Amino acid sequence: MRASAPSQEEIRRQNLGALLRFVHERGQMSRAELTTELGLNRSTIGALTADLTEAGLVTEEAPRETGRAGRPSLVVRAMSETVYSYAVSVEVDQIRVARVGLGGVILDQRSASRPRGETSDLISPIATFIRDMTGAGRCLGAGIAVAGMVRHEDGVVHLHGDLPIATLVREQLPDLLPQVKVGNVADLCALAEHTRGVAAGCDNVIYVYGDVGVGAGIIAGGRRVTGHGGYGGEVGHMVVNPSGRRCSCGSKGCWETEIGELPLLELAGSNETGLSAVLAVVDRAARGDAVAISAVRHVGDWLGFGVANLVNIFNPELVIFGGTLRDVYLASAAQVRSKLASMGLAATREHVRLRTPALGVDAALIGAAELAFQALLEDPLA
Amino acid sequence: MQAPLLELRGINKSFGPVHVLRDVALTVRAGEVTALVGDNGAGKSTLVKCVGGTHQIDSGEVFYEGNPVQVHSPRDAAQLGIEIVYQDLALCDNLDIVQNMFLGRERKRGWVLDEPEMEALATATLAGLSVKTVSSVRQPVSSLSGGQRQIVAISKAVLWNSKLVILDEPTAALGVAQTAQVLELVRQLADNGLAVVLISHNMNDVFAVSDRIAALYLGQMVAQVKTTDITHAQVVELITSGRSEGLAQ
Repeated sequence: MRASAPSQEEIRRQNLGALLRFVHERGQMSRAELTTELGLNRSTIGALTADLTEAGLVTEEAPRETGRAGRPSLVVRAMSETVYSYAVSVEVDQIRVARVGLGGVILDQRSASRPRGETSDLISPIATFIRDMTGAGRCLGAGIAVAGMVRHEDGVVHLHGDLPIATLVREQLPDLLPQVKVGNVADLCALAEHTRGVAAGCDNVIYVYGDVGVGAGIIAGGRRVTGHGGYGGEVGHMVVNPSGRRCSCGSKGCWETEIGELPLLELAGSNETGLSAVLAVVDRAARGDAVAISAVRHVGDWLGFGVANLVNIFNPELVIFGGTLRDVYLASAAQVRSKLASMGLAATREHVRLRTPALGVDAALIGAAELAFQALLEDPLA
Repeated sequence: MQAPLLELRGINKSFGPVHVLRDVALTVRAGEVTALVGDNGAGKSTLVKCVGGTHQIDSGEVFYEGNPVQVHSPRDAAQLGIEIVYQDLALCDNLDIVQNMFLGRERKRGWVLDEPEMEALATATLAGLSVKTVSSVRQPVSSLSGGQRQIVAISKAVLWNSKLVILDEPTAALGVAQTAQVLELVRQLADNGLAVVLISHNMNDVFAVSDRIAALYLGQMVAQVKTTDITHAQVVELITSGRSEGLAQ
């Protein structure tokens, strides 16, 4: 049996959502462009924008100069300054909080360093930053990106034990935040790049994010692949070297024990940690330091090894290297691609493009904000 | 598949008794980065200068967008939409970014230079390439770092609606962070639909951004293959010995 035809109300809701999503994702756009892009009637677009304007979600203004004959079409723009959400990124050694406007514009940003590996209090600095950045307008809630496994159902994070981060943050700021959503950092970076970055328009994407651990955000057929419980994409624990190092997860030879930050720094004989230490190793390698070169090559070989496996399994059109892996990839691309050329199947490797992120370190924040925008984009006038 | 933007067939070039290019063929496609590799003296720079009109070819055919063309001078090349960024960048230190980008081709409104228009175009070009490292387009070039200069020189090449941009060792002498930015810019050019030829000795740069690799050895084009089908070791073999075992051509 077919479901009954959608009602007028449902169609209108869908059209409103589609229009708002367009302006949110692609930036300001003239009514004429929207008419072509959405395939709707000119007067329908007029009515929809009027509704969204009244709800304070978009604004219409005359374009500055078109250089064309005729009455210029009004430009529709998202109200980034007054419709916003908070984005939080909990990373290995820092916490970042931003206020992100509709349209993916970072309006304000704060960060604090965080001692490594400790279960130090995460909630109060997040709450303080959010209170600190309160602005006028409508807050849609908060999205949190965490470098850990996130249970889809309720946003509980496995981070040195279970941490119900969504509930705890919401309890601190019940009046300010109508909702709090949580996602894995690699998933959210993939979402951000897919929405408005290097992967825009690509439906099969793998975003490999690395710092101490390694995870992947996988988009297949235009949808995020997060698995049954939300834990999918833990490619860092794909076993690549059974006779390799012991992993923190208890297994042996996981991918992250070969390409994570720690093996690179250890092989290069560095005692520091973090992105700056990784960059220092890459820099030493570029200057001809033999130890650093061999460390970067080792990591590059294993990076290519794992990527070739992922490419064979998922047949993506785009693989993005984020976090510390951006710099590791650029410095060891010869190794990565050689492994891909020799291990990847001819058919799967033929069209795959390897890229670095377009949004850089902002990807996690923009992706987290995107989580908080979802509900509004589905039903703008709710 | 789309017709190649530039196709060279049987190019020969001699300087006196020295036969520098011998029956060289090269295909360059829009939307792709073609890396041109080879040892010192293999003929990379000569080949590029032939395409750019600095040198005249002795024999051979050049097809551009499918049509046979003759490039007698750099002006001819610019007319076709070919821009070359040489290693020395050819930027004027005492001028700012806008002045450099429009040097010799300034926009005028009546008798005076159209500064607002040039500034807007320069800004739009940098934004179109997602360049975030330059704070103001009115900065003098002398105040820029090596990487920023490279980025300005590349952006200048793009400003002219060029279709083919040739980059000679764009990452030589740059630090790691700046190399990464320049590589991302090179990739962005091709992803925006331009054809890019990248000359580089650094195999990581070549593998990081190229779609195809063309290898010159003693003036001959010994291979032109997709980057997904070749390994680092095979490229090194091609560069040093002109052939590689097991490479499907």
